[in-house]
Amino acid sequence: MRLRTQAIFLLGLAVPLALPSVQAAQEKKAKTVAELAAMYDSSSCKECHPEVYDQWHKSLHARSIFGPAEVGRTAATIKTTIENGLKEWSHSGVKSPEDVGIKHLMICAKCHLPQLQEAEESVAKEIVKNVYAFADNGDEKAKEALQSLNIGCTVCHGRNAVVHKWTDGYPKPDTVYGSKDGKHDDPDHPVMQQSKIMKESILCGQCHGLGPNLELDNPTQCATLYGTHLFAYVPEGGNKTCQQCHMHESKLGHNIQSYRDPAMVKMALDVHVVAQALQWRDGTTMTPMANVTVELTNKAGHAIPDG
Amino acid sequence: MFYNNEKIYMPIPQQFGRGDKMGRGPYEKTGMIRDNSLPPQRTVKEQFAIPVFTEATKDGKLVRTILANEFTVDVEVWYLPYGTKDDPGNAQKWFAATKELHIEKGGK
Repeated sequence: MRLRTQAIFLLGLAVPLALPSVQAAQEKKAKTVAELAAMYDSSSCKECHPEVYDQWHKSLHARSIFGPAEVGRTAATIKTTIENGLKEWSHSGVKSPEDVGIKHLMICAKCHLPQLQEAEESVAKEIVKNVYAFADNGDEKAKEALQSLNIGCTVCHGRNAVVHKWTDGYPKPDTVYGSKDGKHDDPDHPVMQQSKIMKESILCGQCHGLGPNLELDNPTQCATLYGTHLFAYVPEGGNKTCQQCHMHESKLGHNIQSYRDPAMVKMALDVHVVAQALQWRDGTTMTPMANVTVELTNKAGHAIPDG
Repeated sequence: MFYNNEKIYMPIPQQFGRGDKMGRGPYEKTGMIRDNSLPPQRTVKEQFAIPVFTEATKDGKLVRTILANEFTVDVEVWYLPYGTKDDPGNAQKWFAATKELHIEKGGK
């Protein structure tokens, strides 16, 4: 992390226009889970965008480090990653959960909590402590702490709204990125700027992945959807974006759903069944049987399932 | 029930990007050995031939006896993100259909 910070700082010196936003993000490191949650708190957005907020709150983005409500599958998988992965790997530097730091958690947090890069090691320790407290004992306070961390408004409309930073500039902390330019009635984000990629699949592709995350010291592979979108769906002539299906045609808006939602399932797969009983003859021997043909047509913009 | 069969569709991720073993969990998965998922914009067709008989030899001759003249075929498609169907909050039933089938009696 230290090397990375220095590299960004030097870049800031070379390109002064980019310095304020990058520097501000670097200076404002969260020391606790509560501080990190506050840095990316979406509740102030609710005042002017109540419908969008309510939609988002139903989505898994709203509990990205905990996982599906009550089940907490994501938190459980983080524990498994530590127990079956980090602790078993001889070069990871992790012998016990207390050894887990930011760089270790980033193998999950790259997508489940990218803003963890703006936190100190103490936050990683606190997250791990809460993961074990919830997974082992069902601790409600731990669950609440984990649920306070999410892919909120200012992740997609802020830090992740710009992919080509040398082309479009680094995301600015005072700016919310959306569909138009102008003023924004929020003291923390007084500027509104059009994002070049808000309606493009690449925005989602940052997390809903190409395949192996080869930039990591020990690559992980969780999502491959963007990869199958680019290399299987598009070659078949597909031209819809992620947002078109998951937000607009599904009418789910910011309640971005996938396999758990009936509307998405209906849009994704056609199943056609033909069944016929018959008696097949081999000489004098009759063979009563049924032939069943099942046709599955994947209408989605990616392979099914992800994995 | 006299017949049960299932077909699994999923990518088969490689363990640590090497060898022939499937990886478990995102922390091991890197690369892909084989892709048996449903490809986008394509139709995958599965054929099931269901025997509806028991088999025995009588007087040195193979005899097949009908198990049922009336029976139903249930087809279900499930999305199973992890574990088993019984894990709470896990499996999602995507499709179900029942077909009533009939095998004629008599004749020769």
